[in-house]
Amino acid sequence: MIQAQSLTKRYGRKTAVDAVDFTVQPGRVTGFLGPNGAGKSTTMRMIVGLDRPSHGSVTVNGKMYREHKAPLREVGVLLDAKAIHTGRSAYNHLLAMAATHSIPASRVKEVIELTGLESVARKRVGGFSLGMGQRLGIAAALLGDPATLILDEPVNGLDPEGVQWVRNLVRHLAGEGRTILLSSHLMSEMAVTADHLIVLGRGRVIADAPVADLIGAATRKAVRVRTPYAPELAALFPGPDVSVTRSENDLLEIVGLSAAEIGNQAARAGIALHELTPISASLEEAYMALTQNDVEYRTGGSADDPAAEHRTADLQESVR
Amino acid sequence: MTTTVASTAPAATPTFVASGSALSLAGLLRSEWIKLRSVRSTIWSYATVIVISLLLALLMSSTLTLDGRQVAASDQASWMIQVSTFGIIFGQLIVAVLGVLSISGEYSTGMVRSSLTAVPRRLPVLAAKAIVLFVCTYIIGLVSIVGSYLVATPIMAGKGISASLTDPDLFLPLMSAALYLSLVAVFSLGLGTILRSSAGGIAAALGVILLLPTVLQLIPAEWVADMMPYILSNAGTDSFAMTGTMEPWQNILIVLGWVAVSLAGAAVLLKRRDA
Repeated sequence: MIQAQSLTKRYGRKTAVDAVDFTVQPGRVTGFLGPNGAGKSTTMRMIVGLDRPSHGSVTVNGKMYREHKAPLREVGVLLDAKAIHTGRSAYNHLLAMAATHSIPASRVKEVIELTGLESVARKRVGGFSLGMGQRLGIAAALLGDPATLILDEPVNGLDPEGVQWVRNLVRHLAGEGRTILLSSHLMSEMAVTADHLIVLGRGRVIADAPVADLIGAATRKAVRVRTPYAPELAALFPGPDVSVTRSENDLLEIVGLSAAEIGNQAARAGIALHELTPISASLEEAYMALTQNDVEYRTGGSADDPAAEHRTADLQESVR
Repeated sequence: MTTTVASTAPAATPTFVASGSALSLAGLLRSEWIKLRSVRSTIWSYATVIVISLLLALLMSSTLTLDGRQVAASDQASWMIQVSTFGIIFGQLIVAVLGVLSISGEYSTGMVRSSLTAVPRRLPVLAAKAIVLFVCTYIIGLVSIVGSYLVATPIMAGKGISASLTDPDLFLPLMSAALYLSLVAVFSLGLGTILRSSAGGIAAALGVILLLPTVLQLIPAEWVADMMPYILSNAGTDSFAMTGTMEPWQNILIVLGWVAVSLAGAAVLLKRRDA
């Protein structure tokens, strides 16, 4: 279990992580989600003591990470694939890491086989592809058979088969009662891997909820209707429970009724429909809406869309 | 606490508890030894120290011309010291580079984050690195010096100069030379840790060893001249070449002072900075 209490990291005047509180529970996969620069990596580095918090604290299984007698057995961590000396072979890297905790060479061979690195284990890491570097980083994280696993963007650079392998691996390890914290900026990947999500934006926790709840909150049931008689159709649905938005001359978006109900009423009123499409926001869209105001590096464009901001506020409210 | 875990965890899976061997100094020393021997720069550096020492001993002993003069028995050990330790003057530059690289290589590749995650208290990493570097460099220094002595002995004997390895007047200075060589490596390790950069660390180490005595010599002030024996490389060579005014143990203490300052600075910064 990982517990953060008003964890804060400031670099000069810039606050990278802003008084976050969260708990990562054992026995499930917790996704750590957020746009680039949201503070995911900084938080992970603070958990394992690489960065010192400016304020607040974070503990692993009840203790500060550095207080543990066998840190590699408490936490296995993949921070980035480049935390490895390029002039050393993969085998020697793992052997040197294992030696610190007197982990036998047989375990080194085990993690090499587990991560599929047998053929390149004796080669120098400098020549590794991004994917092989990731596998080596995961092998190093697994060395101590740790109770907690922290993986920062583990599927970055992996092929589809590798992505699936990581997914199955972390689900299996969580099933053994381990604590798994997995970061990504890809919502789609998280949706199939994680049980629980912590979403960061600009250094703050903007959502901390089970994946299912987040999907439920995000899914907006709307129906797109195209008809030459748009005003007439809109007049059929005056109630407070139904909202009708007219986006083009002949296009309506109706929220609060099913496609069948709309179709039936239109038929009774003799209004011809040219299109009747139920639409639901995808998880990816939900995430975009959630983090819209918290994206640090934006590519420009719809920054001042009041409707989007309104939706974000609603969504953030509903997942808290 | 247990109740909250049970209520929020999806199934009744018992929490996995870590077990097995823990962090230890012995393990850490083995780890640093694996790290040192598994990169090419170490092998190249040490091999170069030995080869250069042997070649210089061969060159110096064979080009020595005495024009038929006899060397007094009391001076013969001093000649043998000079021939056997000549390579150390060059060797110190190579081990200085190696000392810097042993830590700056970790910073430039990001390896240091792996090292410090395994040992979050950090200082044991520096201690283990220093010990392993010291022992390995001492052995390499001893091999170079004794090897140089063995190469030079038959040639020097032909010129009427000889000294036995068991003679303390020869044996102790040769041990001091190897000690100085290994302390230079540890001093440079400290500089590399402070500067966290290969280029900066190497420049600083070579600057202290090579440039500092030369630059100070250019300043005509008397107090600068008084400082000269306290410069790292002067104190180091004085400890075995018997060129200075102080006792060898005093020279070694001065060298140890330089090492202590470098390591203390390294320790403070390593502990305090974000990795």
